[in-house]
Amino acid sequence: MAKKRERLDVIKDILNAIKEKRQIKPTRLLYSSNLSPQMFKNYLNELISKGFINLEIDKDEKKTFSLTKKGFNFLNEYKVIENFIENFGL
Amino acid sequence: MLLYNLIVENKELLKIFYALVIAMICAFIVIKTNRLFKISSHQGIRYLRNAFFFYGIAFIIRYFLGVLSFQGDLGQIYNFLIQIFFESFIIMAGFFLLYSLLQKKIESEVNFNSLFNQKVILFYGIAFVIAIIDFLWKTSYLMFISQIMLFAYASIIGFINYKKNGRKHKFLKFYFMAMLLSFTAWILNALAAVYFNWDKGIMMSIYGINIIFFLLFLYGIVKVTRVK
Repeated sequence: MAKKRERLDVIKDILNAIKEKRQIKPTRLLYSSNLSPQMFKNYLNELISKGFINLEIDKDEKKTFSLTKKGFNFLNEYKVIENFIENFGL
Repeated sequence: MLLYNLIVENKELLKIFYALVIAMICAFIVIKTNRLFKISSHQGIRYLRNAFFFYGIAFIIRYFLGVLSFQGDLGQIYNFLIQIFFESFIIMAGFFLLYSLLQKKIESEVNFNSLFNQKVILFYGIAFVIAIIDFLWKTSYLMFISQIMLFAYASIIGFINYKKNGRKHKFLKFYFMAMLLSFTAWILNALAAVYFNWDKGIMMSIYGINIIFFLLFLYGIVKVTRVK
């Protein structure tokens, strides 16, 4: 059985999916993230509140997500953070 | 023997140097972990940062401000404040260190403030009450007991983490060692207070163990956050 993804891995996957496309629609991001809609919504809210991603709504009410500078920083330092958390048993 | 005498003769100066080294290590750890927390918003990193923040403050209070002395009523109030703040902050640091290991199992939601939330305010309360009782009893027994229990628990968690993932994550071994060292230091502290009338040899061993404890964390932070 595949190991359950850790919270930090899920965040990394979502941010990577946004980074690859630069701007991505919610349905496409949901598909890429491989999460249930409810979990997906929770993660998105968390990422927006932490300032990792931006939600943009155009004049036709279409939503897209993009990465913020903080989101980019997170992806760059993800390995260091993951290593730190695991080595300190946090 | 010569070295021993030299240390005993200059103990006040050495205590300041000792506190300075620990305060600098703590400042470095706080800065590093704060940066990682700002990027990741990981609560465990946040509480670990808080632990070393309180350790740093406690050592500054005890060994920098504690060196000053005043006469009369002012002196009594000053000594009271030094002991209360030192004990409270040391106990809080221990709480935060243990809580950083436990938070993923306990905390269901992200707290906006890691220094003032419901659980942490309870910790402050316990730490403050322990410090007050110790002051009234003119001992530090409750602080010793609380820290011995806390580091016994932290050592068990450290050992479990090491057994589970020690092969893959090398620092877990040192983390476990650090917890065990601190546990030992607190037991020695209690023994020195209860049975050995603050024996100088035992106290020097405790200072040595404490320095190793902080150096182990410094080593871990530098090694793990080093960009390859």
